[in-house]
Amino acid sequence: MNTVPERFVVPIGPQHPALKEPGHFEFTVDGEQVTAASVRLGYAHRGIEKATEGRNWVQNLYLLERICGICSHIHATAYCLGVEKLAGVTAPPRAQAIRVVVAELERIHSHLLWLGVAAHEAGFDTLFMYSWRDRETVMDILEALTGNRVNYSANLLGGVKFDMTPELQDMILKGLEFLEQRTHDYVAVVTTDATLLQRTRGVGVTSREQVEELGLIGPTARASGALRDLRVESPYAAYADFPIVPVTATEGDLEARFVVRLKELFESYRLIRLILEKLPEGELQARMPRKIKPAETISRVEAPRGELFYFIKSNGTDQPERIKVRTPTLCNLASVCILAVGSQLADVPMILAGVDPCFSCNDRAVSIHSTKLGEKQWTWAQLRQYGIDYYRR
Amino acid sequence: MKGHLLLQDAIRSLFRRAATHRYPAERTATPERLRGKLTYNPEGCTGCCLCTKECPANAIEIITVDKANKQFVMRYHADRCIYCGQCVKNCRFGCLEMPNETWELASLTKTPFTVNYGEDADVERVLAGLVTPEPESTP
Repeated sequence: MNTVPERFVVPIGPQHPALKEPGHFEFTVDGEQVTAASVRLGYAHRGIEKATEGRNWVQNLYLLERICGICSHIHATAYCLGVEKLAGVTAPPRAQAIRVVVAELERIHSHLLWLGVAAHEAGFDTLFMYSWRDRETVMDILEALTGNRVNYSANLLGGVKFDMTPELQDMILKGLEFLEQRTHDYVAVVTTDATLLQRTRGVGVTSREQVEELGLIGPTARASGALRDLRVESPYAAYADFPIVPVTATEGDLEARFVVRLKELFESYRLIRLILEKLPEGELQARMPRKIKPAETISRVEAPRGELFYFIKSNGTDQPERIKVRTPTLCNLASVCILAVGSQLADVPMILAGVDPCFSCNDRAVSIHSTKLGEKQWTWAQLRQYGIDYYRR
Repeated sequence: MKGHLLLQDAIRSLFRRAATHRYPAERTATPERLRGKLTYNPEGCTGCCLCTKECPANAIEIITVDKANKQFVMRYHADRCIYCGQCVKNCRFGCLEMPNETWELASLTKTPFTVNYGEDADVERVLAGLVTPEPESTP
């Protein structure tokens, strides 16, 4: 009889591990305790970065907006700010302010969506249903403002498409009043509900040191006391004129992440009200050239999940030479593997949901140059053959 | 009721109407800015093709019937369109519009998704194959 205990591996995914997106995780368990974890991504790779090289600057705006269905506006904003920087154009103040209003509405939408997903993972479907019902309010506002519930197409290179009207302002303020009152209730629920607290308090504790080591960003880092918010660190669009007060917590557990995200909603409500009150007058769009001289730039913005990074290189034509996108999930996902080790297997979906992952936004092809593979550039045929060989093994 | 804050909400909801709408039996007003099916008014169109050049989905073709007399037919592919409204923004002559009227576009066949807009006589000529459309630009 074999006396050495065998490793028992629990595979989770690639179909819908915790969320309705593909990702594969393998957890080695000893009883109920996780002793090792690994992650494999790439199931939703769409080749968007390559596709940008065959489209012009305007067409890419809409392509890149579709990287993420939840934080679409912030992708378009990052791209617009980058391309405007390359072209030496500054969008008018009114356009910048409207960009921020839409971005903050999107943050409200994203955080309420996350609250529902996380509650659902904890088995608290009542909270899930209520938060998603209330999310309809902000989606209705976005629809009235931009015409779409998702992929708003509010941005243009050099400005925005849609203006703010007094009727819309009234609608937004009314919606925010309802949401603010509901958010107070949610903060009370996530900090006092005994059942939910059993799943969140003291679970997946991330220390301040781990945040630095793993390079965590966004609300995940802020829940551990690290002030990582580009709206404060490097204000873009109208955030310099309308500063935000960052929300942080020190506990670093899942409860702190709930609280940080919910308290950020209050900050969003306050900022939107302030901007609507002091909305600058003026044009909505600055003139953009069709072709952009050769140059390269980076553009960083604070997406609902953390820092979103764009590298944009132009080559003098109306098409980009290269666009590289790094979404916040990639930075935060490493923490799942570290935090899962030592925790209960049943807590793993909660830990995963705690970073608010978005796999489809995140998947990129990365080629690693090694002496074994030889050539640095692969042709299409070589890449295809590599794929066939990979799955034949 | 500490620890069961949502319970009150849940019990109250038992006596309320459902939050969801019984669509299509029950309809809500369409938002004013919703972008529906694209419409084209041939009057004023100069055939500059700014709408086609920057369409992210290659959903628009402008077919030149008679360039000198500014006669054009616009072939619109509603199934490719992503309803971003960039063409409407680009058109300097106000020929394009995305009204909020037609947005329930589901169909059992693909035929209704290709729409030819223009003067009736021009559309007939295009459909009869008398005008050869320029080759489509590949994305």
